[in-house]
Amino acid sequence: MADESGQAATPGALDARRLRTLQSVGMLCGLTAGAWLGAAEAPTKLVTLGLSPVVISLSMVIGVFLARWTLPALIQGTSYVAADLRQAPHLIVWAVLAGCLWAVANTLTIFAVRDVGLSIAFPLWNSNSLLGIVWGILFFQELRGADWRRWAGVLGGALLMFVGATALALASAAQVPARDAARGVAAALAAGVLWGTMYIPYRKAYLTGMSPLSFITFFTVGELGMMTALALTYSGGATALWGQLSGARHVLFWLLAGGFVWVVGDLFQQYAVKYAGITRGIPLSNTNQLWGLLWGILVFGELRGASGSVLAQVIGGSLVMALGAGVIALSSVSKSEHAHWQKAAASEGERYGVDPEYTRSRIAGESASITRRRTWIDWLVVSVATATIIGFALIAHAPEIAFAWAWAIALVIVTLGMLAVAGLSLWRATRFN
Amino acid sequence: MSDNQREQPSGNWLGLVLRDVQFWVPVAVLVAGLLVLRWIS
Repeated sequence: MADESGQAATPGALDARRLRTLQSVGMLCGLTAGAWLGAAEAPTKLVTLGLSPVVISLSMVIGVFLARWTLPALIQGTSYVAADLRQAPHLIVWAVLAGCLWAVANTLTIFAVRDVGLSIAFPLWNSNSLLGIVWGILFFQELRGADWRRWAGVLGGALLMFVGATALALASAAQVPARDAARGVAAALAAGVLWGTMYIPYRKAYLTGMSPLSFITFFTVGELGMMTALALTYSGGATALWGQLSGARHVLFWLLAGGFVWVVGDLFQQYAVKYAGITRGIPLSNTNQLWGLLWGILVFGELRGASGSVLAQVIGGSLVMALGAGVIALSSVSKSEHAHWQKAAASEGERYGVDPEYTRSRIAGESASITRRRTWIDWLVVSVATATIIGFALIAHAPEIAFAWAWAIALVIVTLGMLAVAGLSLWRATRFN
Repeated sequence: MSDNQREQPSGNWLGLVLRDVQFWVPVAVLVAGLLVLRWIS
């Protein structure tokens, strides 16, 4: 039962209207995440192949690192992040662990594309959403208390998206010759398992109530630390790695930019997990494949001169994937399922001694008692990150590649529009909590 | 739960993390991922 202000009258319970609002915002964030994660592929397409997989991955992660500190500093301020972590310091370990999982998975995908091509690799690692759903059900009581229609909607929608993704990937294959099928398949599957399992720390943090903006600042420490260790190991030491990075300095900006755009998508993905759960948020953000395909076909001229059957496969795969996303988006969380989420949240809070009021208010998208203020540290972080990116932009070479400007501008406008709508909705509903 | 009871576990949060079964699932997956990476590279 709710009072007039729309707040839950019973501790821990949300009124139906507030629940619907948070759900809608979560779904919107999932769809926006898909658009931005797909757009992140565009800058990396500009890079001429020839760089080693670990150098590509490390360069992207440096861009990711810059963005993951800049955005929270700009939006909430580092004092907010610090206050958030004081409430649940154990989540630092979970965030670093999630960052390590991401770094290894991202490196594996680059090896997978190299060895078996995008057509086989993409659907294999996109299975991460199916595994994420399994973890959500097993560990976090997602879909418990849901009726059969919601079970069918989520599982059926995820399967439809998987089928659509497979068709799209087969059609949009970059025709990369298979070099070592077994290793490539193993790399793609392993990446899917790593990413699917990465949602355990995500959900753990958001059930406790942490803001995604706080979580990602430590997530990226694990990400950059693990990626640097991998790059040093597989590049033959610091000197060799430095040599490779110096040799690639003219294209590093494009990889940094890819990483930066990726972070915006990932941030929305994290809010989707927080407010819509793994079972809904992750499949929706996996629509990134559709956006990647749009960039590839419309802007970079991929599939030009493709046969009718390939085009039919692309259109069919896209429709099936969009249908799957639509089915999931309609399978909103019922009040009884949300009660199970709150039970899981209470159990988390009790285990780690987190203030129940903090958890309750944050799950409801409220700001608890933490105040926001920006200090000189925030402006320093933003200035250093901006100067670094501008520095790389100044030495970057414009790639010589066919580029359809009109389509690129159209896609940028749509993507920015989605950012504006989702960002505004998120701000109004949760103040980015 | 009283405030005192809450404060006790938060002082030893690292131990609580290590005793959480859910923590070892991602750790095991991470180790397996590193082994796959070593094999393919």
